Amino acid sequence: MREKNHDHKECISIFRKLSEYIDGELDEKAYEEMRTHINECMKCEVCLETLRRTADLCRGMKTREIPDRLRERLKSMVHGPSNP
Amino acid sequence: MQKAPERKKVSDQDTELINAINSGRSSLFYDLVKEYEEKLYNFGLRMCRETRDAEDMVQETFLNVYRYLSDFRHESKFKTWLYRIAASVCIKKRRKSKFAPQREISLEDFIPENIENIPDSLPYWASEPLEKLLNDELSDNIRKAILTLPEKYRIVLVLRDIEGFSTEETAQILNLKPASVKVRLHRARLFLKEKLNDYFTA
Repeated sequence: MREKNHDHKECISIFRKLSEYIDGELDEKAYEEMRTHINECMKCEVCLETLRRTADLCRGMKTREIPDRLRERLKSMVHGPSNP
Repeated sequence: MQKAPERKKVSDQDTELINAINSGRSSLFYDLVKEYEEKLYNFGLRMCRETRDAEDMVQETFLNVYRYLSDFRHESKFKTWLYRIAASVCIKKRRKSKFAPQREISLEDFIPENIENIPDSLPYWASEPLEKLLNDELSDNIRKAILTLPEKYRIVLVLRDIEGFSTEETAQILNLKPASVKVRLHRARLFLKEKLNDYFTA
């Protein structure tokens, strides 16, 4: 049975620390406590994984190429305007 | 009078180039521009609504880098110092602009009122392989969603989750305490998560 009957106060406290959990910024004890809870609570796992995916999607966003006009502006800023 | 302890020097991939520029080979400055122009432009696109503003930000940042490079003390990575300048250009631009609502995002707004309403299975956008989801349209929508974040949250999210700076580095760039970076990042991610959920379930 995945879902245990637990006090959802714990879920709220987990919710507040999800980013630190994702980023590995918790101490070992806090991390283990959260891991144990999340393994047993599907709702917290959904919150965790959708938040993790949000960060991953940001990380994977496509980048745009620099426009030629900006490249030219930067070049002439450094070297001076090019002669026609 | 006691002298302040000297900070540890940080050496990175740009150190040699910067030393060469600072010792008189100023023509090499363009190499530094070429290395970072695209990164900074994309940073600008995520921070500014208008493409023109992103372009101006890149130029202004490099002008400041050119002006102050001889003062760079190698106490952080060059990239961290560069983004410190870029972030301050963005923030100044924002202050000058007529729309500057700096609203707060409260964590309480995202705490589910009823835990039972949270689904019991992962939505497809959190379980499909990342490569299957990422395309130009989604990237464009993420950018638009990021632009709706109040600036102080947006800049933290962009630096941490897009530019890949650590909490410490982001704190250095923005002159914030690491704890504030963590608070803002968490709220920004929660805000964006809701926008993404709306996008995927629309």
